[in-house]
Amino acid sequence: MTALLPPHGADYAAALAAPPLTNLHRIGDEMFAWSDRDPARSPALPRGAVLRYLLSGLTESGSRVLVAGPHADEVVTALSDAGASVTWLLRSLRDAELVAEQHPTVTVVAGAATKFDPADRYDLVVAADGVDRLNSAEGGRLSGDELLDLLAGSVRPGGALLLMHDNHLGPQHTLRLEPGARFAKDSAWDADLETRRPASRQQLVAQLTAAGLVLESSYAAFPEPHAPTVLIGEGLVGDVTSPLRPRLGTALAQAYAAAFRNRPVLSDPRELIERALRAGAEDAMAAGWLVIMRNSEAPPARGDDARLLLGDLHGTFTYEVTDAGTTVLQPLEHPVERAGLRRIELPAVPGANQGYVLEERLLDLCAAGDLRGVRRELAAFDRWLVSQAADGRLSGPVAVAGLADIFVIADGPALLPTRWEPIEPVALETSLVRTVWEFAVLLITSGRPHPWPITMSAVDLTSALLGMLDRAVDEAAVRQAVALHLALETAEQELTPAEQHDRELALLAVQPGTAPVDVAGYRELAEALWRQRYQASHLLAMMEWTERMIKSRDLALSKMDWELQFYRKRLAGRMVMAARAARKRILK
Amino acid sequence: MDEGMHHANYYYGHAHVLARYCALPNPLHPPRIKGYLQHGWNIGDGMAPGTPFVDGSRVLVWSEETRRRSWSQGRRNGIVVGAPFAYLLTMEPEPDPNVGEGTIFYPFHGWEGQQIMGDHQRLIDEVKATETGPITACLYWNEYRMRPVRRLYEQAGFRVICNGYRGFWWRDTDREFLVRQLAELRKHRRVVSNRLCSAVWYGALANREVAVYGDPMVLDNADPMFGGEPRLRRQWPEVYGVQTDFAACHQLARQQLGADELAEPNELRIYLGWPTAATGEDEE
Repeated sequence: MTALLPPHGADYAAALAAPPLTNLHRIGDEMFAWSDRDPARSPALPRGAVLRYLLSGLTESGSRVLVAGPHADEVVTALSDAGASVTWLLRSLRDAELVAEQHPTVTVVAGAATKFDPADRYDLVVAADGVDRLNSAEGGRLSGDELLDLLAGSVRPGGALLLMHDNHLGPQHTLRLEPGARFAKDSAWDADLETRRPASRQQLVAQLTAAGLVLESSYAAFPEPHAPTVLIGEGLVGDVTSPLRPRLGTALAQAYAAAFRNRPVLSDPRELIERALRAGAEDAMAAGWLVIMRNSEAPPARGDDARLLLGDLHGTFTYEVTDAGTTVLQPLEHPVERAGLRRIELPAVPGANQGYVLEERLLDLCAAGDLRGVRRELAAFDRWLVSQAADGRLSGPVAVAGLADIFVIADGPALLPTRWEPIEPVALETSLVRTVWEFAVLLITSGRPHPWPITMSAVDLTSALLGMLDRAVDEAAVRQAVALHLALETAEQELTPAEQHDRELALLAVQPGTAPVDVAGYRELAEALWRQRYQASHLLAMMEWTERMIKSRDLALSKMDWELQFYRKRLAGRMVMAARAARKRILK
Repeated sequence: MDEGMHHANYYYGHAHVLARYCALPNPLHPPRIKGYLQHGWNIGDGMAPGTPFVDGSRVLVWSEETRRRSWSQGRRNGIVVGAPFAYLLTMEPEPDPNVGEGTIFYPFHGWEGQQIMGDHQRLIDEVKATETGPITACLYWNEYRMRPVRRLYEQAGFRVICNGYRGFWWRDTDREFLVRQLAELRKHRRVVSNRLCSAVWYGALANREVAVYGDPMVLDNADPMFGGEPRLRRQWPEVYGVQTDFAACHQLARQQLGADELAEPNELRIYLGWPTAATGEDEE
């Protein structure tokens, strides 16, 4: 919690000297000494490339747009740049003043939703933050249902509403591990009123339909409502027969790993999402639902909604995956190079949609204890990787691809879209060791069932997996592989040198009892503790055994020594000893 | 000191065969195996009954089925490596598969701690009446040393052999035990026993006809926990009887001896806790 009063008092002189903000309108019940832009006090602001891509399709030059609630600046800037006339409703006066200054062409309206003029109508209403931050701590409040009705009522005929609705069953709530979170957060002055807001995508659409809108398209959004990077079109949601299914699993696993890195959670969300996908229940477990609704008499033309939309959290890069193929919708703004790696501008396209993700297949085989199957899959991957190399070195995305990025189709392994490629070619061995080591770390730290001893470290397991290819690996090779992995993480997460150092030490020391190295799940921590105890009790038992063995061997040695001495003392023994001594002298 | 466990890893020269397969520089003196290597075909958790066990150790079992059974008995740290005999077969391909003739007969044996009870003469009569070619009786070392037992087989006209001493507490281990056993199996066309045991599976894996019949005999203090002899008949009826289905028995032997699960040399070194080719500790 932050202090409510500034430490040195208000700077009245500066306030009086500042030019008046003509684009700021105060409608009442606005919040003082409050900011929704402070991550310590309020959740993050909605942003992301997929959001911007969808908005770009709804905005025309000259159209009137209402941005309801806090959003990242980039969202509003994109709307202004597209020629829209933007009105921005914010509850915090401090935020309103700031953005009014930064966005002089935007009309900023500061105050509570209850004070917002319901007569105003817009061509586009953007509520990517949902409705939770439209109520103010001051004055009256509206329920979730009433706020939705207010937004629906703000759309003029022919106009559209883009709304993200937080799913309270989503992993971000269900798996949250923040004891006393409600009392720790300045923004949580109201308990969530579960019964007074739609609890599913269908209920959300039904309520907005009742408010006079018609559905244009809707998506299940992941991994968090304010930071959607994966959107599943309604035609694809729950369709367990879709050939895009395995690829969806990979995309979601990567999105959740990125979003929940280092965050304490009850359990790794990837496992929950994976199960939801198997059950076709991803709609119920989505982080939120993004709907686009129209104020129109007739149902609007529905586009291709059986698509998967993927985009960066920062920047513009967006692409879609459909049965027909993979299409880049928005390119990278500018080339990105970090830690010796280059951001990929064109996502790889496997030759077919029918196939399986290698990592998923290997996890299944490990769980089934099918060593033969693991050897077969690894050998095929190894052969493919070798065929991609030139002079023992790998170039391009394949050099840093993980097993989750390998899609096995009828023709053999193929690459799924990845994010980075090395600027300089990488030694084939380093690349292979990194890939296998990463899988070994996953097997151990996620507590996944596998057919190898519990007491194996990541390096042991890497050696065993590479041993299946009859490849031997030494410590130097593992270090090089971890260095390559570190470069990948540095590029992706923009780690500082200090963070890189800590990370390297952590990655080199993955033991049986190591907790997950990315998402800090309580269940996974408890499992790591179980493995630690297993290892500790084994080591104690082993120590006791070794002591007994040494005692026993000492005794055996003593007896044999006695026997030796006995034989040496006899004539034959003495002759043998004399002959040995003579031989030694001659050889000198 | 009491009966120990780790020394059983060296029985029959098992560790030595594996050291040879792993191309260790000194296979006659293999390093310690970090774990418990299954030393005989087993219908229990992979280890001999009553083996003192260091909690949490690796159990290196022959087959996936044994691994699952071992898990069900509380052994959580099992790994399937396959039988040393199966590794030996990969290193010693058969030069001419049509050489073998006659029958090699393995009477069910006890060991140092358990003697068998049964009528050897009745068994000999039954085998003689059934088998058509020359018969070799392969006796376990303790029975081979018992002159009256040995004489019974000799008087029946059997060629009587012994594969060697399996070793005990690292002393007197016959490092060529398995090699000798393989050579003997290959000299014959059929492998017969009065009880399903490792030798029968070895025979089937080495592409011999196998048959289990006759008085199964019993150990004087047999542990019935895993079902004993009656369970053998119920679970693997394919190997019982005078004539058996060659292909079915061979396939079962592959499963029971883990012949399709064999690790690559570098992989096996990791499982056994031996230095790998890359760690450069080979010369130790």
